[in-house]
Amino acid sequence: MIKYLNPSYVFKISGKLLNLFKTLLIPLVAIGLIFSLFLSPEDYIQGDSVRIMYIHVPSAWISLFGFAAISFFCILNFLFKLKNVTLIYKSLAPIGLTFNIVAIVTGSLWGQPTWGTWWAWDARLTSMLVLMFFYIAFIFSYKFIKSPDRSIKACTLISVLGLINIIIIKYSVEWWSTLHQPSSISLAKETTVHFSMLIPLGLMVFALFMYVAVIFLMKYRIETIRIKRKGFKKL
Amino acid sequence: MNFEFFIMNGFGIYVWSAFAFTFIVCLFLYIRTRKTLKKLEKDFIKEANNLSEDQFEDIKNQKIAKEILISHSRS
Repeated sequence: MIKYLNPSYVFKISGKLLNLFKTLLIPLVAIGLIFSLFLSPEDYIQGDSVRIMYIHVPSAWISLFGFAAISFFCILNFLFKLKNVTLIYKSLAPIGLTFNIVAIVTGSLWGQPTWGTWWAWDARLTSMLVLMFFYIAFIFSYKFIKSPDRSIKACTLISVLGLINIIIIKYSVEWWSTLHQPSSISLAKETTVHFSMLIPLGLMVFALFMYVAVIFLMKYRIETIRIKRKGFKKL
Repeated sequence: MNFEFFIMNGFGIYVWSAFAFTFIVCLFLYIRTRKTLKKLEKDFIKEANNLSEDQFEDIKNQKIAKEILISHSRS
């Protein structure tokens, strides 16, 4: 287990995985787009606007899973002071923020033809906007707080508060009456999305997660090289 | 080419805008990250070459530094 957390081992593996994921990325995105734009049927109520779901839903999931992972790694780092973990959450945060913005913008573009408005201050939309501010605060706290101890404390505090917001996002459509529909895909309940739409959605989720993996590995290598360069100055 | 496909019964503007926005953002993030990585690798090699011979040998024996040197020479 210790071997797998060793920075030099992770760095070596990241190079190999990066090449593999880069090779798989373009064909996966191409297949996902063909299914989402050409092969999937239109919805009987929403018509073709339902195709926005194939990028909106994966983006929202990436943004939520991203912050949940950041919180997990922050707590791990706060408790056990693992240097490698800092690199992981620093690499994850910009990706999570990007997909949070994508989810908000694509949601807005889906909202106009479906609800007749670009934006509404309902619980789901507002809590997603709040998540964006948590991401920004988190990035600022490791970029601008110079003292490592204070930076870790600030990051942990923001990530724990953000985690509460993640729970609010998840249950907002059940706790309050919202314009946003309740979740159609669930592990606990029966999925209400038709199989013909689940395939393109699954493909796009896979393709976008592959993209996230590529960016994450590149960012991980960037952070590692930055630390190594600091070592030069001490020589 | 079927023009109807692009219009998507009037929803085309929303659908294409959403896909285009996502594509542009993802492409921008990829290019920016790749550029930063390449620049840092280049600077790392440059700084490593400025070290004395003994220091350079020390760096070469470090696994991560060795990996950076190899991956940069490959690219």
